[in-house]
Amino acid sequence: MHHLPRCRAAGFGLVLTALVALPAFAQLDFSGEWAPLYHEDGPERLPGPELGDYTELPINAAARMAADTYDADRISVVPEYQCRPHGGDYSMRGLGNLRVWREIDQASEKLVAFHTHLLAWDSERTIWMDGRPHPPDYAPHTWQGFSTGVWEGNMLTITTTHFKTNYMRRNGVPRSDKAILTEHWTRHGDYLTVVTVIEDPVYLTEPLVRSDNWYLDPGQNIGVFGCEYAPEVPRPEGTVPSHLPGQNPYLREFADWYGLPFEATRGGAETMYPEYKQKIANEYHPPEKCSRYCKCTNLFDCNVTSK
Amino acid sequence: MTMNGRFAVAHLLRAASPLLGTLLLATALSFAQPPQINPDSVQLTMAPVQGSVYVLMGDGGNITVQIGKDGVALVDTGFAPLAPKAMAEIRKLSSGPIRWIVITHVHTDHTGGIAAMAKLGMTGESVGPPRIVAQSNVLNRMTGPQPGNQPKIPEEAWPNDEYFLPTKDFFFNGEAVVVYHVPDAHTDGDSIVFFRRSDVLSTGDVFTPGSYPIIDLARGGSVEGEINALNKIIDITVPAKYQEGGTMVIPGHGRLCDEADVVEYRNMLTIIRDRFRDMIKKDMTLEQVKAAKPTLDYDAQYGSTTGFWTTDMFIEAVYKSLSGKK
Amino acid sequence: MRTRLLALLAIGSAALLDQSLFAQGVPPPSGIGAPPGPQAPKSGQAAAPVDFTGYWVSVVSEDWRWRMVTPIRGDFASIPLNAEARQIGNAWDPAKDTAAGEQCKSYGAAAIMRVPGRLHISWADENTLKIETDAGTQTRLFHFLPATILGVGPAPYSTERTWQGLSFANWERPVRGSGFPGFGLGATREGAHGKSLEVVTRQLRAGYLRKNGPPYSENTVLKEYYDLHKERNGDTWFTVTTVVDDPKYLTEPFVTSTDFKKIPEGAGWSPSACVAK
Repeated sequence: MHHLPRCRAAGFGLVLTALVALPAFAQLDFSGEWAPLYHEDGPERLPGPELGDYTELPINAAARMAADTYDADRISVVPEYQCRPHGGDYSMRGLGNLRVWREIDQASEKLVAFHTHLLAWDSERTIWMDGRPHPPDYAPHTWQGFSTGVWEGNMLTITTTHFKTNYMRRNGVPRSDKAILTEHWTRHGDYLTVVTVIEDPVYLTEPLVRSDNWYLDPGQNIGVFGCEYAPEVPRPEGTVPSHLPGQNPYLREFADWYGLPFEATRGGAETMYPEYKQKIANEYHPPEKCSRYCKCTNLFDCNVTSK
Repeated sequence: MTMNGRFAVAHLLRAASPLLGTLLLATALSFAQPPQINPDSVQLTMAPVQGSVYVLMGDGGNITVQIGKDGVALVDTGFAPLAPKAMAEIRKLSSGPIRWIVITHVHTDHTGGIAAMAKLGMTGESVGPPRIVAQSNVLNRMTGPQPGNQPKIPEEAWPNDEYFLPTKDFFFNGEAVVVYHVPDAHTDGDSIVFFRRSDVLSTGDVFTPGSYPIIDLARGGSVEGEINALNKIIDITVPAKYQEGGTMVIPGHGRLCDEADVVEYRNMLTIIRDRFRDMIKKDMTLEQVKAAKPTLDYDAQYGSTTGFWTTDMFIEAVYKSLSGKK
Repeated sequence: MRTRLLALLAIGSAALLDQSLFAQGVPPPSGIGAPPGPQAPKSGQAAAPVDFTGYWVSVVSEDWRWRMVTPIRGDFASIPLNAEARQIGNAWDPAKDTAAGEQCKSYGAAAIMRVPGRLHISWADENTLKIETDAGTQTRLFHFLPATILGVGPAPYSTERTWQGLSFANWERPVRGSGFPGFGLGATREGAHGKSLEVVTRQLRAGYLRKNGPPYSENTVLKEYYDLHKERNGDTWFTVTTVVDDPKYLTEPFVTSTDFKKIPEGAGWSPSACVAK
């Protein structure tokens, strides 16, 4: 019988011992209080996306035009936009703390639904787990849509339809009411990973797949969001601020600030694949050092001059 | 085929199966006759909306149905051949007489069933034919000579309770029903109908969430009037929490909506109007405007390259409406 | 004596590991109705509930301007670095790294999955899953530790610190509820059958979390969770949730999730060397 050399065996044993801490069990309940982690796209998700930043979105020309002509004044001038919530898809970018709970049918002890409540606009969603079909086409659309879920092993796959028209990014990139959202929720220990897949035949050339993380925070307290619209800018009734095509003066700012080639900031599927890195290598001229959002991991350390 | 019939067919195409729609369009274009409809091939769907109000879909335009102890009120009537089928669906909800029919505008997919529904809707409790309410321009267009040598519309299909003031109202089934004239929008005779307690607004073809609005220039429609009408709808509707629910909106065609959906539609048309104004100010011709693709960001959502009402035709209508050019 | 002590240490470790790595596909006995006796452990490949093998491409739908281009000097947005780490990051000198032969610092295990590129995943042997990256031409080995290895034979794993470190993997086990379902005394809940791949990596050489120099130390513990998902349009993806735990330079664990789409065999495979900038 071979014997392990002493020091190697000892070290090896210690390594193996340490590995006992692996969480080995499938997680199958998402109930609890979840706080979003902003370790990806912090500046875009927290203070908000910059005008003209369409990177990492597989958008088409129609979406680009809608975003180029978008005027953020619309949110205040159109009173009905002041309290307009994020759509169910955008909400899962973690723009607010989340509570999840289960609904169990008392007679059968079966899981009927997961419910979610998000801080932003007190948005609530029901994820039906009882096999019911989605409503017919003529049914009303809502901000959160209509969701059903099925288990795939330890992953909960959710399909949502019947969204109202909304945005894919809150600098004007639109998302139509024909979109379908698929989510995959997995829980590993105290981390919840939500993969979102947005299919939008109106504005995307291929599905937008991204993933965001949350951590369990049982001590959190989600307050009331509250919103009441209050017109404060005197304008003729029915005014809808927009830039005329080709006349938005802000579209190049983003490229200029970060030294990016303008075409790269326009988004599109081509810009999301590895070969694009080589394509723009010679056109990227970053500034000497960071001067915008150099530090941004939570609501309190993310402003434009944070360093 | 007359423009009126063409508009009607365009709407029916959206409600019926693609195969049926193609057949109807081919028939309509070939014979210059009102569309031949086989009721057996049309599926009608009745759905509850809110309060006392339901919507019947699949019969031309959406038909709003209000029921209660006083009887039945309708907004629009669909096509004549489908009236018995529509009536059968209504009778599943109420055995009461039809006492009110409000007509939103003159197109046959909304008026074609007036005579049939008025007759079929009478019961032993009726004290006469239903009151058929419409803005006076609807009556004028229905009683005058019909374009394209179409046969005269029989008197029993005319509105018998026309109004010419900005509003008309009545109380029925426990709630106020307010009819608003929204001038020169889809046509010059448009009405929108508000069921106050049920909190439901029927808009006729002023609002059709699945397509660009049809601006019937020949019948007095206009882009500015259409935008004003949408703003009027937004004035009336009140959403529940966070811009959702509250006043439900039954469009002329398409799915059930609320204020937020109307806001998106109004925004679209206002933005397009602003772009056209700018181009017209620069003296751009219609062809130059089309080449500039001023509706590109909305075409996939609302437009069409085939069928009766195409994106090109919408652009043409907006251009002519705003420029005054023929 | 010393031999006996070492054997005891190895056996003790094996016993501790029994709950995690050695019970591939074999749940622990728990409560009434549990299955009888342990079965022979399966290899990592035999126990795989899903198939990660094949070629994959990263689709950069997040952190685009920190991944698709070299981030601006001092731009550490979204990374929970402490002050010391920021200072180190601000002193980033790619020329110096290249001269020192350390141009692969941003291709280490804690960062490699965020580097845009393609992966080739295959089984090196029945207990080793191999991930090759074309970006930086790196190789990661995930070891599924068989029971027989402990105390028998030479230690197959080096203790040297490397860019990719030493990784041990585990197929997440199903959770069995306690009770006897036939009598309504509890049952295994739906959603209990695991399909995730869990990997823990240590023995890392100090590197960068991104190309512009935010550091991670050699004491970093990296945990990853790989989840496969198929979409409505037929595409297959996997998402890897990466937890970088480095108390030396991070104020909290740095958690990201990266998405890869399956592609045809070898499509676009283009190995390239590490570059420091």
